[in-house]
Amino acid sequence: MQNRFRTDGVDRLLVILILMILLIGSLMVYSASYIWAEYKFDDSFYFLKRQLLFAGVGVVAMFIVANVPYFQWIKYRKWIFIGCIVLLIAVLIPGVGMVRGGARSWIGIGAFSIQPAEFMKLGMILFLSGYLVNAQEKLTEFRRGFVPPLLIIVSIFLLIMLQPDLGTGMVFILTSFLLLFVAGARWGHFLILGGFGVLGFLLLIISAPYRINRITAFLDPWQDPLGNGFQIIQSLYAIGPGGLFGVGYGNSLQKYFYLPEPHNDFIFAIIAEELGFIGGFFVIGLFFLFVWRGVLVSLHAPDLFAKLLSIGIVGMIAIQVMINISVVIGLIPVTGITLPFLSYGGSSLTLTLCSVGILLNISKYRK
Amino acid sequence: MKRITNMVIQKRIVTVFLFAVIIIGIILFRLGYVQLIWSDFLIGQAEELWSRDIVFEPERGKIVDRNGEVLAENVSAPTVMVVPRQVTSHEQTAKSLADALDMPYDAALETIKKNERIVILQPEGRKISEEKAIAVQNLNLDGVYIAEDSKRYYPKGPYLSHVLGFSGIDNQGLTGLELSYDEQLSGTEGSLSFYSDAKGKKLAQKADKYTPPQDGMNLQLTIDHKVQTIIERELDIAVEKYNPDSVVAIAVDPDNGSVLGMSSRPTFNPGNYQEIAAEVYNRNLPIWSTYEPGSTFKIITLAAALEENKVDLLEDEYVDDGSIEVGGTQLHCWKRGGHGHQTFLEVVQNSCNPGFIVMGQKLGKEKLFSYIENFGFGSKTGIDLQGEANGILFNLERVGPVELATTSFGQGVSVTPIQQVMAVSAAVNGGNLYEPYIVQALLDPVTGEVVDKKEPELKRRVISKDTSEQVRNALEHVVALGTGRNAYVEGYRVGGKTGTAQKVGKDGRYMENNYVVSFIGFAPANDPEIVVYVAVDNPKGTVQFGGTVAAPIVGTVIGDSLRALGVEKQDGGIEKAYQWPDTPAIEVPNLIGASKSDLPEYMISLQIETLGEGDYIIDQAPAPGEKVEEGSKIRIVLGDK
Repeated sequence: MQNRFRTDGVDRLLVILILMILLIGSLMVYSASYIWAEYKFDDSFYFLKRQLLFAGVGVVAMFIVANVPYFQWIKYRKWIFIGCIVLLIAVLIPGVGMVRGGARSWIGIGAFSIQPAEFMKLGMILFLSGYLVNAQEKLTEFRRGFVPPLLIIVSIFLLIMLQPDLGTGMVFILTSFLLLFVAGARWGHFLILGGFGVLGFLLLIISAPYRINRITAFLDPWQDPLGNGFQIIQSLYAIGPGGLFGVGYGNSLQKYFYLPEPHNDFIFAIIAEELGFIGGFFVIGLFFLFVWRGVLVSLHAPDLFAKLLSIGIVGMIAIQVMINISVVIGLIPVTGITLPFLSYGGSSLTLTLCSVGILLNISKYRK
Repeated sequence: MKRITNMVIQKRIVTVFLFAVIIIGIILFRLGYVQLIWSDFLIGQAEELWSRDIVFEPERGKIVDRNGEVLAENVSAPTVMVVPRQVTSHEQTAKSLADALDMPYDAALETIKKNERIVILQPEGRKISEEKAIAVQNLNLDGVYIAEDSKRYYPKGPYLSHVLGFSGIDNQGLTGLELSYDEQLSGTEGSLSFYSDAKGKKLAQKADKYTPPQDGMNLQLTIDHKVQTIIERELDIAVEKYNPDSVVAIAVDPDNGSVLGMSSRPTFNPGNYQEIAAEVYNRNLPIWSTYEPGSTFKIITLAAALEENKVDLLEDEYVDDGSIEVGGTQLHCWKRGGHGHQTFLEVVQNSCNPGFIVMGQKLGKEKLFSYIENFGFGSKTGIDLQGEANGILFNLERVGPVELATTSFGQGVSVTPIQQVMAVSAAVNGGNLYEPYIVQALLDPVTGEVVDKKEPELKRRVISKDTSEQVRNALEHVVALGTGRNAYVEGYRVGGKTGTAQKVGKDGRYMENNYVVSFIGFAPANDPEIVVYVAVDNPKGTVQFGGTVAAPIVGTVIGDSLRALGVEKQDGGIEKAYQWPDTPAIEVPNLIGASKSDLPEYMISLQIETLGEGDYIIDQAPAPGEKVEEGSKIRIVLGDK
């Protein structure tokens, strides 16, 4: 069926954007991490080397995946999805899953460990895209159409929250809802969903009122400067002094152990500190262009599966970018997710690049 | 069932995109706000976080006398500092510290559990003694440090206290010179500020800034500690002897207005000012108190009358019959029956009120009051101490004959001790009114070099050199031959004037048997080196007369001070009366039944020692009618009638 469409190569602008973001990411990972790297590993290039390794492997993987016709994934989507579920359950078993930063999220050995939840995000997009193509007929019905995929989504979400990994869980659930929405689910059904969400949120607060502090800390971080407000204050101390033009590449002061793991979740704070508002604007601009090109890919995609798959991948990356930057600039509470392509990411960077590979492949097929 | 068309899907994708655009817009807006508008605040906060200031405390300047004798200095008083994060067992540490520092355990525990970088145990752990510091050191507690600190120390105890004042626990001046020269004494804090990483390590990329502390400057006073010591000693003796309400003493160098000594009672030890009532340490009586001067003020009337050539001390004569009628009122001389026929020199010697009234009348109110103002009364002298009073003069328009008359002998005006001292200094130094001062120089604490020096400030010339000489001569007669004989010092040619001033009570009327007795003296009379004023408020167990109580004190202060200052004794002064060749022996008067207030008239020729309390004389020795040498001592017993 692909013969009905033009297949005149990948979206080159998309490729250039990804490579530019990766380049900036590598430069910033080095600047943000060398103090930590020197301190922890006696090697200021420790994180840069790994970043370049994962990015290199990722770019190669991206181009390989870009040559796999997207409709091949329809066949494997269920197996991939089941594999992801197995990993997600396995990671909860002590001895198999490793605890890092208070959550049992990792599986594997040392540098080759992975986060099953990261795989699940892509696995779910693949699975849900295929599922919704088949279920589109009844999607406007509540019980037969809307609720079944919802149950799957919520179950997987709860599985992720058992680790617990709120950040990945949020990206996962928002991406899934986005797919439901694009596939044509009714506005009204989302309103009902929203109602349940508010209800659940209220129950959560009533059952454990201390959580409200965690959530309101971002509104006035100075209320608890050494507790819940700590990270956001340190982040603002980086961004604020950056001003319009920044303090210059390499000159950040907040990376000197003030901002915890500056090369990771809060790398955007270091970008804003060293490169200023102009640098931050530029990086956000690159992401915006990426989203724009991604949305065009989806709009021009030849079939519903391709549309859902591509908008799912773009949406997943965009949601993660927005949540991460919003946390860093103090717009929403701290959740703990990385900035795609820019954060020091290890295996998840490779995986994100694989997702972009799928997107690139779809970009070849235009209506 | 509704069919989902391709159009719906496309619209949904665009909707999602528009959502993204809005969110990205919000993010950019917020980023711009943080970086462009909020940044100043955040930079300020962050700078505080990045920079570490190690404070270097300056040393407070010393206060020394004109010869470098130390009057106020600093002693080491260490402070206990605790770094809570380094404390191993808070309970154990709190207990040890509470015991060593004598403080409540709960307070210690609460302090050292604070989530701060460094805490100080207030107030028990601040500025502690060396012994306590060593005791704490020997506890060897983790996270407990002894920091060098200093405390103000006044080596001479209750000495020049009102002038020096004192400083508080943070070495900040609170009263006296410690307050008025606080800025110069304090110096400025120094600091070493450097940028550091979150682990406290210095950041090499940002240069650090060292600002050395500037120690406070030393304050050099015009005070001579020997003179001051003599004054303090004499005041202590006076308090012991007379139990007065208060005593004031001032000594100045009349040639430039520099204060050589100043003290008053009640006094206090600046080292433990916390235990003293505020009105005691806040009132520096020599400049704060105002009262009617009494006869010491006659010096001004005399100087004015001489300057205006209204009177010739040797040629002009006056007959005092005990009272004078002024504006329909009889004003009495202090001596019942009057002094009889006198030259005006004798009027001065005898402190004869009607005689001075005549001088005042000859001057007229405009002249007299313009001299009074020129001599500095009615306005602050401008001494470099805080809390000086103005004093009060009659409003010239309201001065009638009676007011003119009483002003002539020192009643009805209100003056401060320092005003009198400066006025009399001007009267005897050749006619120059100086501004009194007590700080003569600011010295560099390291090199001792003079940074700033106060030059004597001549306000104006008030009388001529010649007049001044006549005033000195007349006042030397007062001490040698008249009412001031108890101030006589062999070889030092003391001049001076007594004063017995009435005090106005709460009811607005003069109080009975409650006087401020005073004496102002200077020496040597040919070229005065020192002017000394002593006023004793309500002395008990004595006749309240300036010549009896205050004159001997001034005599002793002048004699001892001039010796201490190395002034040579000389010949050529007026000899004291009892050495007059043909002084006849005098008959002891019958004092029994007389009132205490009648006594002063006898004291020109006799010394009187009192026993007991009361207003009337009930017994005396020797008996009436016995012949004794002039100046002999008569002992009287006081009682109620």
